[in-house]
Parts: sequence; structure tokens; C-alpha cells
Amino acid sequence: MPSAGELVTRLLAWVGELINASSLRVGLGPTVATLVVLLTLLSLVARPSSRWVTRDAGKLTGLGRSMALAAEAGATATLSVGTAGVARAASAAERMQSLVVLPLVEHVARTAARAGVPLHITTNDPVVAGMAEALVTDAHAATGTSERRQRSDVEFLGEGRVPAAGLSLGADARRVAGFALGGLGDESLLLAHGMAAGATGARVGSGDVAQAPSILLEGTGTLVGADLYAAPAEVRSTGHARPAVVATNRLIGAVIVILVLAAAWAVAGGSPADLLSVR
Amino acid sequence: MRRSIPAALVVGVGLLLLLDFLVVNPTLGAISGAIVELVVILFAAAAVLGAILLAVRHAGALALPGGDRIGSALVLVGMAIVLVPGLMATDGAAAPSVRWVVGALVVPIGASLLALVAVFLIPAARRGMRLRPRDTAVILVAACVVVVLLLPLGGDVGAALGDGATWVLDVPLRAVFAGLLIGVSLAAAVAATRFLFGLAGTDD
Repeated sequence: MPSAGELVTRLLAWVGELINASSLRVGLGPTVATLVVLLTLLSLVARPSSRWVTRDAGKLTGLGRSMALAAEAGATATLSVGTAGVARAASAAERMQSLVVLPLVEHVARTAARAGVPLHITTNDPVVAGMAEALVTDAHAATGTSERRQRSDVEFLGEGRVPAAGLSLGADARRVAGFALGGLGDESLLLAHGMAAGATGARVGSGDVAQAPSILLEGTGTLVGADLYAAPAEVRSTGHARPAVVATNRLIGAVIVILVLAAAWAVAGGSPADLLSVR
Repeated sequence: MRRSIPAALVVGVGLLLLLDFLVVNPTLGAISGAIVELVVILFAAAAVLGAILLAVRHAGALALPGGDRIGSALVLVGMAIVLVPGLMATDGAAAPSVRWVVGALVVPIGASLLALVAVFLIPAARRGMRLRPRDTAVILVAACVVVVLLLPLGGDVGAALGDGATWVLDVPLRAVFAGLLIGVSLAAAVAATRFLFGLAGTDD
């Protein structure tokens, strides 16, 4: 029978073998950069002591009024969870946007449930459809309005970005609030236009930088670029989304400092590119 | 306990995938590969389920008196046109009939719809001027400047405009895009870290 010491020795030897058989995939610089993101966030989560000043991101504070108008008019609210999806063939950044906007979908669903406004959510991704369905059910349960659940629905539009844009243009005009939030592509202008048609307030947001002009032209409330990632922290009553925004701001600050120092070094005759080739 | 098991799973899997992203190790790679394959299978199953639900929903809509029967019928016929030849042919999605449907119907319809962007840009500009006159004016002036710079003119004027266009693309436009991309990338990295470590909770 092996002793406890032998077990520990073998365990340590196995861990040593594992480490010995490993190497860094992306080099020292990018590995450290990835871990810095992690450590910055974790330090903030462990010590969330910074003050938080709220702002009206994407005019989402006016959501209650929009829903009240919709309830008064007997109209509906429509929300498109972007056209990137999670299970579709989209880039990782686009998929991330579909996940990031889920708290906003939850917020809209709760506001609609409280106001008694039927919410129609459209998506071209079956996984996002399932998530949105669960959020709408949770929203009605949380607001004690389960009897109204059947009036809201989530529609899977089928594969592709174009159907979402086409269907939003031809959708029922009895709508007071329209939302297009998440990963958007070249169809963003059409989708946003469809969502804004007939609506007193259209909130449009995407992290796709190239779609910023479409968002700015069509949206009453807009979330451009990193705003989409920060917005959940502004609308949620709890503070757990806020460390992410503070971490992002600190990292952006660090990047600006690095850019300034690198520029100064380049002006002085150095080569900042040498830093990236650290092995 | 009910919440801690999924949270622990998320953290464990997240750590494993992050470690595999940073470190090359055969054992770690095999475990991460198996997890990713499982996720791919789950997503594929979800996609099939989504298609089935779409068909069931529209088949049900055909029976409803107040529903959009024409629209539902078109969806079902469209699905059948692609699905039946694809299933009957030995080469599946590469079957000539399926490729014809995609090449002769789906792509032109999609292209024509996207061509509407040029048309809808005018009402969008009008709407933007009504909602945010100053911001929209800046966008429209910038768009007009770019259009002028890209005019297909020859001679010295054309060359000067071409140089101007190159400068606009290389300096101000690239700077704005790079700034926005840095912000978005960092926000996405932090968001990804939160998801990996199960820090994204709900309001409850």
C-alpha cells in the first residue's frame, strides 16, 4: 500500500510533467496582457469601492415612458436581438455582443411586463431565441404578471441577416417602442429603420464600429461601440455589472498611457515595435 | 447549492479554456477540444430544433384564421424547396438544385434587399436631422466631403482629390476606428472574462 508521501510525490511529479510538456501559445507579451485583463477585473470584483455616477445610456431611462405610451395606445414593443447570434457563423466579437445585450433584453422585458405591453422579440439564432424566451418568462415571474406571459413572444426568423432586416421593414406598424440591440452587419440601417417605423422612440445599439453611422442616423437612443457593453451596468439595480465598466475604463486609460509613452519613445528615436517581440 | 454547482462548472470550464488559450499542452488541448466539440454538437442540435420549431410554428399559423397564412405558406414552401432536394441528393447541400436555389433566388433577393440601403439612407438622414440636427449635420458634411474626394476626375484636380481621399482614410478615419476598436476590444475582453468566471449574475 503506497504511503501518503508517495501519493504527494507522484502528484507533484505528474504536475511537473504537465508543466514540462507545456509552452506558451501566444508568447509572453500577449499572455501577460490577457492576464492583466483578468487581474484588473478580479481586483475590482474583490474591492468594488469606486463611486458610480449613473448616466442615461441609450436613453434607456425613458423606457418606462415609452412602455406607458404603448400601454395607453394598446400597441406593442418589438425588440431585435441583433443579427449575429451565438450559434451562427459569426465572429467571436459579434457573438459576445449577443450575450452582452441579454441584461438589456431582461430590462426591456421587465419594463414591458410591468406596463402590460406585449413584447415581440425577434432573432435569427435558435440559441438566442431560447435565452430570450427564458428572460421573458423570468421577467413576468419577477413582476408578478405571469398571466400576461402569453401576450409576449419570441420569434426565430430563420437563418441569415437579410430576413431579419426585411421582416422588420414589413412588420406590423402598431408598435410604439422598437429596439435593435446586439451584433449588426450591413443590414443595420434597414433593421433600425424597420424598428423605428411607427415607434416614438427607437433604441439602437451595436458594438460593430462600422455600423455607427446607421445607428446614429436611425436611433432615438443610441449605444455605439463600447457603450453597448457598459449599458447593462447603468440599467441594473444591482452593482455586479459595474466592475466590468470600471475595469474597461482603467484598461482604456492604461492603453492611452502606453500609446502616449510609445509615441514619445518613437519621437525620441526608439522603436516601440521592439517591445512586442519579447519572447 | 442549486446555484453553486452551475457556477462552479462555469468557473471550471472557463479556467480550463482560458488556460488552453494561453498554454500549449497535449492533455489540456484534448480536454478543451472535447468540451468545444460538445458545445458544437449542442449548438447544431439547437439549430435543428430551431428549424423544426420554425416549421411547426408556421404550420400552426396556417390553421389559424387570423394568421398570416400566405407568409407562413411561403416560409414552408421555401424550406421544402431547399430541404427536399438536399435530402434526396447524395451530395446534400452541394446538390445542383440546392445550389441553384441559393444562387438564383436567395443571393439575388438578399442583394436586392441590401441595395435598399442606398434608398433608405435618405429617410434616415432626414430622421437624423429631426432627432439630432448638429450630429447628423456633421455626419452628412463628412459624407459629402468623402463623396467629393472620391469623384472619378482626371488631371491635377483628380490627383489632388485622390491624395486627399487617401489622407482622410489613413489619418482621421483610421484614428477614429482604431480608438473605437480599442474600446470595444477591451470591453469585449472584460465581458468575456466575466462570462468565463460566472460573474454575470441576474438582478434577482
